[in-house]
Amino acid sequence: MTTTIDSTRFGRIEVAPGSAIEFPNGLIGFDSRTFTLVARDAEDAFLWLQSLDDPELALPLTDPRRFFEGFALALGEGEFERLGLPADDDACEVYVTVRASERIEDCTANLRAPIVIADGRGHQVINHAEDAELRAPLFREAAAAGQAA
Amino acid sequence: MLIITRRPGEKIVLGDDIVVTVMEISGQTARIGIAAPKAVPVYREEIWAAVKEENEAAASADPGALPPVPPQS
Repeated sequence: MTTTIDSTRFGRIEVAPGSAIEFPNGLIGFDSRTFTLVARDAEDAFLWLQSLDDPELALPLTDPRRFFEGFALALGEGEFERLGLPADDDACEVYVTVRASERIEDCTANLRAPIVIADGRGHQVINHAEDAELRAPLFREAAAAGQAA
Repeated sequence: MLIITRRPGEKIVLGDDIVVTVMEISGQTARIGIAAPKAVPVYREEIWAAVKEENEAAASADPGALPPVPPQS
Protein backbone atom coordinates (compact mmCIF):
# COMPACT_ATOMS: atom_id res chain seq x y z
CA MET A 1 0.00 0.00 0.00
CA THR A 2 1.26 3.43 -0.93
CA THR A 3 1.82 5.73 2.04
CA THR A 4 1.19 9.43 1.71
CA ILE A 5 2.74 12.06 3.91
CA ASP A 6 2.32 15.82 3.81
CA SER A 7 5.89 16.77 4.60
CA THR A 8 6.58 20.32 5.73
CA ARG A 9 9.59 20.67 3.39
CA PHE A 10 8.54 18.85 0.24
CA GLY A 11 4.76 18.90 0.34
CA ARG A 12 2.83 15.70 -0.37
CA ILE A 13 5.02 12.65 -0.92
CA GLU A 14 3.67 9.33 -2.10
CA VAL A 15 5.82 6.47 -0.94
CA ALA A 16 5.59 3.10 -2.65
CA PRO A 17 5.83 0.15 -0.24
CA GLY A 18 9.32 -0.77 -1.44
CA SER A 19 10.59 2.76 -0.80
CA ALA A 20 9.90 2.85 2.93
CA ILE A 21 12.94 2.19 5.10
CA GLU A 22 12.52 0.73 8.57
CA PHE A 23 14.96 1.91 11.22
CA PRO A 24 14.42 -0.61 14.05
CA ASN A 25 16.33 1.63 16.48
CA GLY A 26 15.42 4.93 14.86
CA LEU A 27 17.98 7.70 14.69
CA ILE A 28 19.73 8.83 17.85
CA GLY A 29 17.57 11.56 19.38
CA PHE A 30 14.39 10.91 17.38
CA ASP A 31 11.41 8.60 17.88
CA SER A 32 10.61 8.00 14.20
CA ARG A 33 11.14 4.47 12.94
CA THR A 34 10.08 4.73 9.29
CA PHE A 35 11.71 6.94 6.70
CA THR A 36 12.11 7.31 2.97
CA LEU A 37 14.80 8.89 0.81
CA VAL A 38 13.80 12.02 -1.08
CA ALA A 39 16.02 13.09 -3.95
CA ARG A 40 15.01 16.34 -5.56
CA ASP A 41 17.25 15.74 -8.56
CA ALA A 42 19.26 12.63 -9.40
CA GLU A 43 22.33 14.82 -9.93
CA ASP A 44 21.96 16.58 -6.58
CA ALA A 45 24.79 16.02 -4.10
CA PHE A 46 22.29 15.98 -1.24
CA LEU A 47 19.20 13.95 -0.56
CA TRP A 48 16.87 13.85 2.41
CA LEU A 49 15.91 11.16 4.87
CA GLN A 50 12.25 12.06 5.39
CA SER A 51 10.36 10.58 8.33
CA LEU A 52 7.05 8.91 7.45
CA ASP A 53 5.93 9.26 11.08
CA ASP A 54 6.65 12.96 11.47
CA PRO A 55 6.05 15.36 8.56
CA GLU A 56 8.47 17.89 10.06
CA LEU A 57 11.40 15.52 10.45
CA ALA A 58 13.90 15.24 7.60
CA LEU A 59 17.69 15.15 7.62
CA PRO A 60 19.89 16.03 4.68
CA LEU A 61 22.29 13.26 3.67
CA THR A 62 25.09 12.84 1.23
CA ASP A 63 27.28 10.07 -0.13
CA PRO A 64 30.47 10.38 1.96
CA ARG A 65 32.63 9.12 -0.89
CA ARG A 66 31.61 12.07 -3.02
CA PHE A 67 33.25 14.51 -0.59
CA PHE A 68 35.76 12.41 1.35
CA GLU A 69 38.08 10.35 -0.79
CA GLY A 70 39.53 8.39 2.11
CA PHE A 71 36.20 7.65 3.78
CA ALA A 72 36.18 4.27 5.46
CA LEU A 73 33.49 2.54 7.49
CA ALA A 74 34.74 0.46 10.41
CA LEU A 75 32.10 -1.03 12.65
CA GLY A 76 32.68 -2.67 16.02
CA GLU A 77 33.27 -6.40 16.09
CA GLY A 78 30.14 -8.32 15.19
CA GLU A 79 28.14 -5.14 14.40
CA PHE A 80 27.27 -6.07 10.81
CA GLU A 81 25.94 -9.40 12.05
CA ARG A 82 24.18 -7.87 15.05
CA LEU A 83 22.34 -5.42 12.80
CA GLY A 84 21.58 -8.04 10.16
CA LEU A 85 23.55 -6.12 7.52
CA PRO A 86 25.48 -7.72 4.67
CA ALA A 87 29.03 -8.17 5.99
CA ASP A 88 30.43 -6.36 2.98
CA ASP A 89 29.69 -2.65 3.15
CA ASP A 90 29.72 -2.49 -0.67
CA ALA A 91 26.37 -4.29 -0.47
CA CYS A 92 24.93 -1.45 1.66
CA GLU A 93 24.04 2.12 0.81
CA VAL A 94 26.09 4.37 3.09
CA TYR A 95 25.17 7.99 3.76
CA VAL A 96 26.23 10.64 6.24
CA THR A 97 24.10 13.38 7.78
CA VAL A 98 24.85 16.95 6.79
CA ARG A 99 24.89 19.99 9.06
CA ALA A 100 24.00 22.92 6.80
CA SER A 101 25.18 26.44 7.42
CA GLU A 102 24.90 29.85 5.80
CA ARG A 103 28.69 29.89 5.61
CA ILE A 104 29.85 27.26 3.14
CA GLU A 105 33.01 26.64 5.19
CA ASP A 106 30.82 25.66 8.17
CA CYS A 107 28.87 22.96 6.29
CA THR A 108 29.92 19.64 7.76
CA ALA A 109 29.13 15.94 7.51
CA ASN A 110 29.05 13.49 10.40
CA LEU A 111 31.45 10.72 9.39
CA ARG A 112 31.34 9.31 12.93
CA ALA A 113 27.73 8.11 12.69
CA PRO A 114 26.85 7.08 9.12
CA ILE A 115 23.45 5.79 8.02
CA VAL A 116 23.66 2.32 6.53
CA ILE A 117 20.75 0.99 4.48
CA ALA A 118 20.26 -2.51 3.07
CA ASP A 119 17.14 -4.44 2.08
CA GLY A 120 14.70 -1.77 3.25
CA ARG A 121 16.21 -1.48 6.71
CA GLY A 122 18.41 1.28 8.02
CA HIS A 123 20.70 1.82 10.98
CA GLN A 124 22.70 4.72 12.26
CA VAL A 125 26.00 3.13 13.21
CA ILE A 126 29.10 4.30 15.06
CA ASN A 127 32.10 4.42 12.74
CA HIS A 128 35.29 3.40 14.56
CA ALA A 129 37.62 4.49 11.74
CA GLU A 130 40.23 6.71 13.38
CA ASP A 131 39.78 9.74 11.14
CA ALA A 132 35.97 9.65 11.18
CA GLU A 133 35.20 13.20 12.26
CA LEU A 134 31.92 14.23 13.85
CA ARG A 135 32.03 17.49 11.90
CA ALA A 136 34.05 16.99 8.75
CA PRO A 137 34.00 20.14 6.56
CA LEU A 138 32.34 19.35 3.23
CA PHE A 139 34.40 22.01 1.53
CA ARG A 140 37.92 21.71 2.95
CA GLU A 141 39.37 24.48 0.82
CA ALA A 142 36.73 26.98 1.86
CA ALA A 143 37.18 25.93 5.50
CA ALA A 144 40.97 26.31 5.29
CA ALA A 145 40.62 29.73 3.63
CA GLY A 146 38.16 30.77 6.34
CA GLN A 147 40.61 29.83 9.06
CA ALA A 148 43.48 31.62 7.35
CA ALA A 149 41.49 34.85 6.94
CA MET B 1 19.50 7.78 40.36
CA LEU B 2 20.05 4.33 41.81
CA ILE B 3 23.59 4.00 43.14
CA ILE B 4 25.06 0.54 43.74
CA THR B 5 28.52 -0.41 45.00
CA ARG B 6 30.10 -3.30 43.08
CA ARG B 7 33.45 -5.07 43.16
CA PRO B 8 35.30 -6.44 40.15
CA GLY B 9 33.55 -9.55 38.89
CA GLU B 10 30.21 -8.50 40.32
CA LYS B 11 27.22 -7.79 38.08
CA ILE B 12 24.07 -5.75 37.74
CA VAL B 13 21.01 -7.06 35.94
CA LEU B 14 18.68 -4.65 34.09
CA GLY B 15 15.30 -6.20 33.37
CA ASP B 16 15.53 -9.86 32.39
CA ASP B 17 18.08 -9.73 29.65
CA ILE B 18 20.75 -7.09 30.20
CA VAL B 19 23.73 -7.88 32.41
CA VAL B 20 26.39 -5.31 33.25
CA THR B 21 29.63 -6.70 34.71
CA VAL B 22 32.39 -4.72 36.40
CA MET B 23 35.36 -6.47 34.81
CA GLU B 24 38.31 -4.62 36.28
CA ILE B 25 39.10 -1.44 38.18
CA SER B 26 42.47 0.18 37.76
CA GLY B 27 43.07 3.67 39.12
CA GLN B 28 40.53 6.00 37.51
CA THR B 29 39.40 3.43 34.94
CA ALA B 30 36.66 0.85 35.20
CA ARG B 31 36.28 -1.82 32.52
CA ILE B 32 32.64 -2.70 32.08
CA GLY B 33 31.18 -5.68 30.23
CA ILE B 34 27.66 -5.45 28.84
CA ALA B 35 25.61 -8.40 27.66
CA ALA B 36 22.41 -7.25 25.96
CA PRO B 37 20.03 -8.60 23.29
CA LYS B 38 21.09 -7.93 19.70
CA ALA B 39 18.31 -5.39 19.25
CA VAL B 40 19.60 -3.13 22.05
CA PRO B 41 22.18 -0.60 20.89
CA VAL B 42 24.90 0.24 23.41
CA TYR B 43 26.75 3.56 23.17
CA ARG B 44 29.42 5.40 25.07
CA GLU B 45 27.44 8.34 26.46
CA GLU B 46 29.64 11.10 25.01
CA ILE B 47 29.33 9.63 21.51
CA TRP B 48 25.58 9.17 21.89
CA ALA B 49 25.21 12.82 23.01
CA ALA B 50 27.42 14.16 20.21
CA VAL B 51 25.54 12.20 17.53
CA LYS B 52 22.20 13.33 18.98
CA GLU B 53 23.35 16.94 18.70
CA GLU B 54 24.52 16.46 15.09
CA ASN B 55 21.25 14.75 14.14
CA GLU B 56 19.20 17.56 15.66
CA ALA B 57 21.32 20.20 13.92
CA ALA B 58 20.99 18.36 10.58
CA ALA B 59 17.21 18.10 11.00
CA SER B 60 16.88 21.85 11.55
CA ALA B 61 17.90 22.66 7.96
CA ASP B 62 15.61 23.85 5.18
CA PRO B 63 16.16 22.56 1.65
CA GLY B 64 17.40 25.99 0.59
CA ALA B 65 20.14 25.92 3.24
CA LEU B 66 22.21 23.35 1.37
CA PRO B 67 25.00 24.78 -0.74
CA PRO B 68 24.95 24.23 -4.50
CA VAL B 69 27.44 21.59 -5.59
CA PRO B 70 28.51 21.15 -9.20
CA PRO B 71 27.41 17.83 -10.74
CA GLN B 72 29.96 15.03 -10.64
CA SER B 73 32.09 14.80 -13.74
